[in-house]
Amino acid sequence: MGNFHHTPGEYDPITYVPHTESHGTKELWRTFWILLGITILDFILYFTMPPGLFRNVVFIFFGVVKAYYIVGAFMHMKNEKVNLAMCILVPTVFIIGLVAGLLYEGNALSTY
Amino acid sequence: MANHNTAAFEEKPMWAGGRSPFNVSYGKLMMWIFLLSDAFTFSSLLVGYGAIRFSFSTADVKWPDPAAIFNHFPFMHGYFLPLLFVSVMTFILIFSSVTMVLAVEAGHRNSKKEVSKYMFYTILGGLAFLGCQAWEWSQFIGDGGRLDSNFFGITEQGYKHLSTVGFGDHFHWNEGDRTWGPVPFASLFFIVTGFHGFHVFSGVVINVIIWINTIRGTYEKRGHYEMVEKTGLYWHFVDLVWVFVFTFYYLI
Repeated sequence: MGNFHHTPGEYDPITYVPHTESHGTKELWRTFWILLGITILDFILYFTMPPGLFRNVVFIFFGVVKAYYIVGAFMHMKNEKVNLAMCILVPTVFIIGLVAGLLYEGNALSTY
Repeated sequence: MANHNTAAFEEKPMWAGGRSPFNVSYGKLMMWIFLLSDAFTFSSLLVGYGAIRFSFSTADVKWPDPAAIFNHFPFMHGYFLPLLFVSVMTFILIFSSVTMVLAVEAGHRNSKKEVSKYMFYTILGGLAFLGCQAWEWSQFIGDGGRLDSNFFGITEQGYKHLSTVGFGDHFHWNEGDRTWGPVPFASLFFIVTGFHGFHVFSGVVINVIIWINTIRGTYEKRGHYEMVEKTGLYWHFVDLVWVFVFTFYYLI
């Protein structure tokens, strides 16, 4: 395969697929119940907590927890090499930069 | 084919060449990088939504409370049921994520029958979600949400009326409860949920292609089900984005 000379059994960056093994379905179902539980908790807190900054922080925190379980368990990020995980996760600090920037500069928007 | 002798590659020194340093295939790495760029796109939309919403906190006509608008449920017309329908949509998407990851797991065991079964369930979940979103949009449009206008500027009288209705009560807008409100509320709702819905639609199309390939035995011949893993990454990402759309549009 590939456009260059290649002998069978040699490493080929185009067709290389690492061997993967099943880790069973137990952890996946556990993750599903956690995600469902947090969503139900979201629903309950929406009606029981007074609206305000604290409730919003709780909801965003729950969103991050759900993201952790989706990326870690469903997308198998936990099973990838740490270097690969960092290559994908570290650049997301730019999103935090965007949030910080708009919180700082956001007042300018109210003038329109 | 590619699956033979991979263990030998993985034992070589990491950056000395002749192996994949991260033990990952080309396609999967590219999928991760695409998802990272897509995460930036969605976060720009959501952070922009937050900033514009915040900019209306001192305006005369307040940014509407989502519970005042998204309070419908199918076959329960006229009842005040905020957050219920969108929670059902969230459940549908989470459940289709589980069937997707079960398809990936079955692929690791090279079980063609199970992969095609779980891919089918995932496609059904995606279609169910799209149907729910279409219903949600039609309710919103029917109540007065447009790309260029928004009839959800809730007046003081409207908020007084809302404070008297509890979960599950009968509810209809009275004359004078609403006026024209902030336009970006409606346009950003259509843009962000529409962009996410388009991702779900693309995901369903890709899943159908992978499902057909599975049934035809393409991956069985290839010796591995890595394509299912790649489409799975995309599908879980769509679920991940929905978690934040749900948080920022409906909860906050």
